Amino acid sequence: MTSETSFLKVRDLKKYFSSKETFPAKIPNLVRAVDGISFTLHDGESLGLVGESGSGKSTAARTVLMLETPTSGLVHFKGQNLADLPEPQLRNLRKEMQMIFQDPFSSINPRRKIGEVLQEPFKIHDYKGNTTETISELLNQVGLSPNYANRYPHEMSGGQLQRVGIARAIALNPSLVVADEPVSALDVSVQAQVINLMMDLKEKLEISYLFISHDMGVVEYFCDRVAVMYLGKIVEIASSDEIYKQPGHPYTEALLNSAPGLNIERKKNSAKAHGDIPDPSNPPRGCSFHTRCPIAEKQCKEMEPELKEVGAEHFVACHLK
Amino acid sequence: MNPIELDVRNLKITFSTPQGNLTAVNDLSFQLYKGETLALVGESGCGKTVSALSILRLLPEPPAKITNGEIIYSGKNLLTMAPNQLRKIRGEEIAMIFQDPMTSLNPVLTIGEQLSETLLQHKNLNKKEALLQSVQLLGKVELASPEEKLKQYPHQFSGGMRQRVMIAMALACEPKILIADEPTTALDVLIQAQILELLEHLKKESGMSMLLITHDFGVVTEVAERVMVMYAGDEVETGPTNSLLSNPNHPYTKGLISSRPQLGKTRNKDHRLIEIPGNVPHLNQRPSGCTFHPRCNWVMDHCKTQKPHSKNLENNLKFSCHLDPGSL
Repeated sequence: MTSETSFLKVRDLKKYFSSKETFPAKIPNLVRAVDGISFTLHDGESLGLVGESGSGKSTAARTVLMLETPTSGLVHFKGQNLADLPEPQLRNLRKEMQMIFQDPFSSINPRRKIGEVLQEPFKIHDYKGNTTETISELLNQVGLSPNYANRYPHEMSGGQLQRVGIARAIALNPSLVVADEPVSALDVSVQAQVINLMMDLKEKLEISYLFISHDMGVVEYFCDRVAVMYLGKIVEIASSDEIYKQPGHPYTEALLNSAPGLNIERKKNSAKAHGDIPDPSNPPRGCSFHTRCPIAEKQCKEMEPELKEVGAEHFVACHLK
Repeated sequence: MNPIELDVRNLKITFSTPQGNLTAVNDLSFQLYKGETLALVGESGCGKTVSALSILRLLPEPPAKITNGEIIYSGKNLLTMAPNQLRKIRGEEIAMIFQDPMTSLNPVLTIGEQLSETLLQHKNLNKKEALLQSVQLLGKVELASPEEKLKQYPHQFSGGMRQRVMIAMALACEPKILIADEPTTALDVLIQAQILELLEHLKKESGMSMLLITHDFGVVTEVAERVMVMYAGDEVETGPTNSLLSNPNHPYTKGLISSRPQLGKTRNKDHRLIEIPGNVPHLNQRPSGCTFHPRCNWVMDHCKTQKPHSKNLENNLKFSCHLDPGSL
């Protein structure tokens, strides 16, 4: 069932949270964190999810992995709809899909030695065999010496600890790894080390990545395709090259223009987005970006744009394209 | 070149710890000229923030100790100044903005109370006048409907808005020097671009000098005229932004520049990012010779034993490496 197109297919996925205002009044409030997103991740591909904080990237990723129960929608992973799967089968399938978190200091138990942290996946999935040897090998694979197994997290630097986070994710040979801002907490020089490591592992272990980041530079470098999210919706999806050369959505353009870069030629005269991202519990009517859009017109305030194909495998949700 | 606004000479800062006295900043000298933006760049743990905090004597002493050096501001040494004199300079002539606007504002005071506090402290104003000036300040940092904002609390503000408030507070007394410690690191890219633009605009308007601390060379290109790269408490390279970026002379500078993925650089599948191997050494494990030698791709035998001298080149370029200029 692992034909190219059916590796991971997400259709019209929604995740709503209800937040009850306790003060001043109890008004149930619906936050549409993920509001009907669809995308496909091919086997062996890296798909980037970009957007600002509050755009719903992390919720989207967590919902794809069924760490959040979706409000509606389909997640087909290797031909099975995860949303319908009973818990024991889902648990079995979790070996195949793992996650790397943003901040290794808060995602790794500070009271456990690295060796114990890395044993956990094997314990959970009743792995029988010599785990000590496997763990040494795992540490080698992520570029750490095997005697790190006896260390505690506080004895390591952020970059080293993120390598442990990666080791934990690849321990059970997953085919899908969701990486939620894996390098944003790291220094620039260490970022490069971790990105190179993730690239190498992709080749060696045939991993597909769903890679979340707010850094256009990192995403363009790491990913084959990029999906841009804004207030719970995908506003543009295309190959990395396309996105950089011909961004279709004004939001994508704003993200590219604001990325502090060493190449200044595309900036300065170009339009930038103004203001902050609106409150997701009360998104603007029409196109949700119109409040910040430099080129918004009347129709943008009234009608919500559909995701349209503007080029080969290039989809944009904007009235003006 | 413009006159020197701030002159830091042979600054040495140590921290006393159970493992002994550790040197965080080692014989650092630099000048900040009037009206320029100087960026201090390096990884975490290189001594950027410690150096900046020492200018306003904001380091906790002890455990920190400034064991050597002078910081000269308008003819006076800030390091030997009496506390009450120093208080007049802090906030009034030299102001600072911090990395995380979430934690540097007081959550239980309104924006108006916090803003006017600086004004009341330094200027001869009554409360009403101070509030009036606060409104103007908020307008200056481009916050909409400033009168209303004065009555609000920090939690009602987004990260970008809070950083604008911090900037307004720092600029309240029209300082001569603004020290900005990673002012945009905690912000989203779109907001980062807005804040950098605002800082640039305000700097031009008032003619103040800015000392910008960052680990991101992208931010440097946006705003700084000159850059000083620090590694493990040492200055390793200093020069005008453009020439430093296009022709770095120190391997560490080159590493920092090329480890950042650049937008639009055609990526081919076997092209790897150039990484700097390893980590910044811990203060108690400072390597001998050139402190960068364990991570350097160009390391030679004598790098391990001899500390390189600083070499001055034309065009205000300066670097400390055993390699000849232009060999990278």
